[in-house]
Amino acid sequence: MKKWGSVIVAATLTLSLAIAGCANQGASTGGADAREILVGVVLPVTGNNATDGKDMQNAIEMAVKKINDSGGVLGKKLKIEVADDGCDPQMATTAANKLVSQNVVAVVGGYCSGATLPSSGVFKNANIPMIVPAANSAKLPAQGYDTLFLINGLTPDQAQTAADYMAANQAKKVVLIHDNSAYAKDLADFAKASVEKSGGTVIAYEAINPEEKDFSALVTKIKGLQPDATYFTGYYAAGGLMVKQFKQKGVSGLFLAGDGSFSEDVIKIAGADNAEGLLITATPTAEFIEGAEAFTCAYKQAYNNLAPGPFSALSYNAVNLLADAIGRANSTDHDAIKKAIKETKDFKALGQTISFNAQNTLDTSNFAVLKVTGGKFMLAK
Amino acid sequence: MDILVQTLADGLVIGAFYSLIALGYTMVFGIIKLLNFAHGDLYMLGAFVGYTLLSVLGGDSSGAGLMGILIVLLLTMVIVGVFGMGIERVAYRPLLLAPRLSILITAIGVSLFLENGSMIVWGAQYQVYPLQLSHDGISLLGAKITYVQIGLVIIAALLMLGLHLFINRSLYGKAMRAIALDQTACHLMGIHVHKVIGLTFFIGASLAAGAGTMAGAYYGTVNFMMGFIIGLKAFTAAVLGGIGSIPGAMLGGLLLGMMETAGTFMFGGSWKDVVAFSLLILILVLKPTGIMGEKVTERM
Repeated sequence: MKKWGSVIVAATLTLSLAIAGCANQGASTGGADAREILVGVVLPVTGNNATDGKDMQNAIEMAVKKINDSGGVLGKKLKIEVADDGCDPQMATTAANKLVSQNVVAVVGGYCSGATLPSSGVFKNANIPMIVPAANSAKLPAQGYDTLFLINGLTPDQAQTAADYMAANQAKKVVLIHDNSAYAKDLADFAKASVEKSGGTVIAYEAINPEEKDFSALVTKIKGLQPDATYFTGYYAAGGLMVKQFKQKGVSGLFLAGDGSFSEDVIKIAGADNAEGLLITATPTAEFIEGAEAFTCAYKQAYNNLAPGPFSALSYNAVNLLADAIGRANSTDHDAIKKAIKETKDFKALGQTISFNAQNTLDTSNFAVLKVTGGKFMLAK
Repeated sequence: MDILVQTLADGLVIGAFYSLIALGYTMVFGIIKLLNFAHGDLYMLGAFVGYTLLSVLGGDSSGAGLMGILIVLLLTMVIVGVFGMGIERVAYRPLLLAPRLSILITAIGVSLFLENGSMIVWGAQYQVYPLQLSHDGISLLGAKITYVQIGLVIIAALLMLGLHLFINRSLYGKAMRAIALDQTACHLMGIHVHKVIGLTFFIGASLAAGAGTMAGAYYGTVNFMMGFIIGLKAFTAAVLGGIGSIPGAMLGGLLLGMMETAGTFMFGGSWKDVVAFSLLILILVLKPTGIMGEKVTERM
């Protein structure tokens, strides 16, 4: 009896191995084809951030399809290999190693900075160029990897965008408010530096507790200072209430908020009337990019009328940039591609013109100022 | 001058909310010596019940007139008041004779239950109240005071006045004060002690719920954690006024609200909670009985 059992187990195992082997073989004949260029993609396609990761994957597939339909690159078709980093440093390292072992020509991806930090190291060691569409911690370029390219603006860029907008609108006396979270405080600190650099003065630098609902004392205080502009760097829940209470008390000047407040909810919470004229510094999603209407439309058509997520346009740009660089390098050699990406000059993409600075980050940031007009976000100006 | 008046007026509104919640704290403590840490969450529950009623009854946002809001407010107070009695029946009554620590721990359990239950029912995100109150108002010495603020303070004052009359003039109020003095003796004298305790919970919960609905309408957003911090603040207000004393809770709430806004004004927004809780520590160290301390012996 026991013997029979083991025979059955052995038979099943052999059978499943054989099937798995077949499947593997099928995949590898598809992958290591001389007529194809294999591009790795690292994204969180499972876990908490899977929604955004999935959106990015969709946009990447759209870009690849478009490129292949118009003849591919160097006469070859692009093929992507997706590895899941789950927004987790450990999973990201495994995913990166997997892609390295498959000899990908280059990599597109990186959503969470925490997961992108280790995976970028793996690609650096294998000398594989990586284009990051979403992750934007200042720690990423600080590593100094020559293989790593960021096409999303960093926190200092956002602060600069806000400061530039205020300067352009003659807002000299500026109030900064953050909510004590690491991200918001960082942004407020950078904004302070940027404002002072462009000749403005920070007349108040305040922190709030985001759990609070009543900011009236703070608002009264700020009203007395008569600021030209107020920049709030926290998240939408407190941001919406702040906007509302600013309007109710009639505080002077512009009201700007950081990308943590970039959500339809901020308008809902503040009330459409109060939110009118609210300014947000953010990397615009595809819907707000001029000239991306075709992309948004095609995306919706391809994916069940789903709106493209926050980083879809950037992911789409990353693939196009890579294809362009491989074309210019006229080779699939890592060093040649790396060099070609580095030499990118004014590459026209959705909502941004890509050139890299010495740090391999954007020469001119893609942050834009959005303005609430008629209860909806629109590009300002 | 205008800034001073404005700060005082804003403080008065916050203080009115604190007072209403602190009353429930003080009443429950006065009658069964329980620090009901679930009390702040009844405020949250009131905000959500009001939100649901307004969404169901109000239909579109502008249609809900003053009358509608008042009806929703009363309905919410009754519903949450009954819920408060239910909590007392299920979670506290079996432990009335147990050591005080057991019932305190149960209160924390009830608080967690309410918070997470609300999260399941209404979701974790911020909900926006389905009405926008106007911000018209009057100018008083340069400060802008809205009709809504005036209305809120008046409603709060009426509720407190009603409670004061109820405690001091009615038979049930007398029974409450008697139970606060000596529960066992009341049993022997034929007072239906459990009924009176239930009534106390009803009143406390409905006052908190009233504050919750008003805060929801005033600030515009509600979420499931909104009761936590304000529960602690109301506790501070109750201790400040002298826990167990009803006029103390009213005074403590108003004082705390005004000191907080004044503190924010002087030191900045991040110091708001520091002011409140430093005050709590100071009171506990210097005058543990609170401002209306001498009434503590009577407990109500």
